[in-house]
Amino acid sequence: MVVLALAIVSVVVLVANSIYAVPSPISSVRIGGFGEVDYYASQPILNAPPGLLVRVYLINGSSVKPVNAFIDVYANAPNGIVHVAMGYSSILIVPFNSTNWLYALGKWASLGIPFSGYNTSMLVFITYMHGNESWIVPLLIPYNVGWAYRALGKSTPLTATLSAATPRYIVVNAYINVNELRPNKVVPVRLNGTVTDPQVFGTYNGYTVYNCSLSGPEPPSIYTTSYVFQPTSTCLGFNGSLPIAWATWSNGVIQSDQGLQFELNIYFSGTINWDAMSTDYGDLGTSYSANENWILSSPTYTIGSQITQPGSVYWYYGGATWAIVNYTVWYVEGTMGAYYMGTTTVSEVLYVPPNDAYGNAYDYGNGPISMFYNGSITLSEQYFGYPALNASTVVDYAAFEYTPYGEELWECNGPVGNTSTVFGGVQYTLYTVTLGGVNTAYGLSSAELGTELGGLAFDVLVEVATEGEATPLIEFLNNVGSAIFDIAGLLIPPSTSTTVTETSLGINFTTGTNLYISVINASAVYGLPTFGFILNATNYYGIPSSFTCKYNQWVQIG
Amino acid sequence: MNVKSLFWFYVGFVFASFASSLWLLLSSVLTVMPMPLPYWLLYTPGNIATAGIIVTALMLALYTYLGIALVLNKMNRGFIPITMVIAFTIGITLLLVRQAIPALVILVIAYVMLIGTYIVITSVTTSRTSKALWGVATIILALIPPILIGGGLAVINYIRYMAITEQTMAITASAVEAWRLGVEQ
Repeated sequence: MVVLALAIVSVVVLVANSIYAVPSPISSVRIGGFGEVDYYASQPILNAPPGLLVRVYLINGSSVKPVNAFIDVYANAPNGIVHVAMGYSSILIVPFNSTNWLYALGKWASLGIPFSGYNTSMLVFITYMHGNESWIVPLLIPYNVGWAYRALGKSTPLTATLSAATPRYIVVNAYINVNELRPNKVVPVRLNGTVTDPQVFGTYNGYTVYNCSLSGPEPPSIYTTSYVFQPTSTCLGFNGSLPIAWATWSNGVIQSDQGLQFELNIYFSGTINWDAMSTDYGDLGTSYSANENWILSSPTYTIGSQITQPGSVYWYYGGATWAIVNYTVWYVEGTMGAYYMGTTTVSEVLYVPPNDAYGNAYDYGNGPISMFYNGSITLSEQYFGYPALNASTVVDYAAFEYTPYGEELWECNGPVGNTSTVFGGVQYTLYTVTLGGVNTAYGLSSAELGTELGGLAFDVLVEVATEGEATPLIEFLNNVGSAIFDIAGLLIPPSTSTTVTETSLGINFTTGTNLYISVINASAVYGLPTFGFILNATNYYGIPSSFTCKYNQWVQIG
Repeated sequence: MNVKSLFWFYVGFVFASFASSLWLLLSSVLTVMPMPLPYWLLYTPGNIATAGIIVTALMLALYTYLGIALVLNKMNRGFIPITMVIAFTIGITLLLVRQAIPALVILVIAYVMLIGTYIVITSVTTSRTSKALWGVATIILALIPPILIGGGLAVINYIRYMAITEQTMAITASAVEAWRLGVEQ
C-alpha cells in the first residue's frame, strides 16, 4: 500500500510539473560570477506574490550559505531609474504590484510598443559587510514588462504578442564571492547629506545630459533600532544619437591617400542585447534588448572628392537613452557615527527605439563620434577614472603597405577578406575589414543562456545538446527525472531569432596607398555595441608599441 | 522462476521516482517562497541537472540489480539491462572526457538497450495490469526518437507529454507489481 501511495504522489507531482502548476523554470541567465537569474512559470502559490525574489549567498571557499546583506533594487524606465525597494536580509521580495515598480512599468507601457518587442531590466545592488570590509555587487536582471502585466491579470493590447508561458517568478541568486571579489575598506565619515551636482547637465553635440533619477515614489526606508543603511545614487542620463559604428580618417589620410574609396556596412538581424558595464566588475548582464534589423550600406566615399577634411562617418540610432549610475552606500550606526561602505559605477542602456530607426551622417568635430573621442573622455574620466578610448580598446589591426613588390595587406586580428566588385564599369578588388559579428566578436550575448548554465553535469548536457542530437541522453535522464526536460527546454535556442551579423569597412585603394586601419571596441565603455574603424596614414591609432595578434603573428592577405 | 526477487526492483523504482518528485515539488515551491534556503535546495538548472545525475545513478544501480536477479534465475535476458547499464556508463564517461561523437553512438546503443530492458520487464511482470502498462510505456519509449527526429524541436512539447505519460505508466506499473508481489509474500 505504501508503495502505491508513493507512486500516486510521484505521478501527481509529474503531472503538476508538466502543466506549470508548480514553479517550472522556463529560462535561466548566468551573470558572470555574480549571480544567476531563473525564471519560473507557475500557477499562483500561496504566500508567494508574483515578482522578483532576490537571494544572497556568501561564497567562501567551497561553502555557499545564505547571508544577510543590504539589498537595493531599482527599476529601469525608458528615461531613467526608479528606486523600488530595499532591505537588510538574505532575501528580498519585490512584488510586481509594488507601487514603485508599477510606476516604472507604467512608463514602459506608455511607449505603446508591444511588450514582446523588447526586454528591460532591474538594477540590483547587493552590499555585504563583514568586519571593516564591504563588497558592493551590481546585477542586471532582464525581464519583460508583459510578464508583470500578465501575472497581475492586466490585459492590454500590448500583451497580445507574448508567448504562451511567461514567468511569474523571477528568482535572483546573487553570489558574494569573498575569495574573488575585491573588498572596499569601511571607513568612518561625517555625513553632510548633500549630493554634489555633477555640473555636467546640459546639451552637448546633440546629446542631452540630464538627471535620470526619476522622481517616482520613494521606497519605504528601513529603520531598525540601532542601525540603518543609507544608499545614494546619482543617475546621469544621456539622450541622443547612439552610434552603432563609425569610420574616422586622419589628416594624413587626406593628404597621402587621394583616391582611396571606402564604405561602411552593417548587417544585423535578430535580437541584440545591450549589456551593462561596471567599472569594478565588467559585464553585468543585459540591461536592454530588442529586435533590430539593420541592412545598412553607406555610399562609397572617396578621399579627395566627397571627403576633403579629417572627420568621421557613422551609423546611428536616434533617440536612444543610456545612463551612468553612481551608487554609494553609508552605514549609520546609532550614536557611533557613519561609515562609508564603498561606491560602484554602472553604465547601462535604458532604451533604444525599435527596428530600423537609424541614420548615417558625417561628423567633422561636433557630432557624437567627436563626443566619444573628446567629450565622453572627459565624462568617463570623471565617472570611471579612465579614458573612454585608449590603445587598449583597439582590438583589430590591418594595414595596406606599398612595398617594392607592390601593394600588400597585412592583418593582426582580422578577419579581412576580399571580394571582386565592379565599380563605375571597372573591375575592382574590394577589401573588407569585417568584424566577426557584433555578438561573437564583442561578447554581447555573453549573459545569454545556454553557455554557462551550471556545473559539470550541465556542461555535459549542453555539449550533447549543441551537437543537435541530444535525444537519447535527455530522454534517458527524463525517464528518471522529468525536471530534466525543463533544462532541455532551456537549451533550445529560440527558433524565431536568426542572427546574421556583419559589420564591415570596404576599402578600394589606388597604388601607393599606405593605410593603417585600427578597429576600436568602445562597447566596454558604455555597454553599447559601439565600434569604429580608424584610418591613419603612418601608424595605428594611439601609435601602439606592441600588438597582441591572433596566433601571435601578422598574416598577409594579399 | 522466482520472480519474488524482483520485488525490491519495483519498490526501488517507485521509491527513486518518489524521492525525485518530492525534491522537485519541495524545491520548486520553496524556491519562490520568501524564506532563506540552503543552496542545494534551490530549483536552479544546475541543481536540477545534479539531481538528475543522482537519480540516474540510482536507476542504473536498480537496473543492474534487475539484470543480476534475472541472470541468477537462469534467465539470459537479464543481460540486456546489464548491457544497457554498461553502455550508458561508458557513454557518460566518454561525454565527461569530451568525446561527443563516440559518446553519442554508445548512448544510442544504451537507448535501444533501454527499450530492450522495458520489453524484458514487460515479459517478467506477473499481473496483467502492469504488463499492459509496461507494454504501452515500451511503445511510447520506442516512438519518441523517430517522432523527435521527424518533427524536430517543433514537437518538443508533445515529446514532453509522451515522456511524462511513459514515466507515469512505468511508475504505476511498478507500484502495481510491487503491491502484488508484496501481497503474495
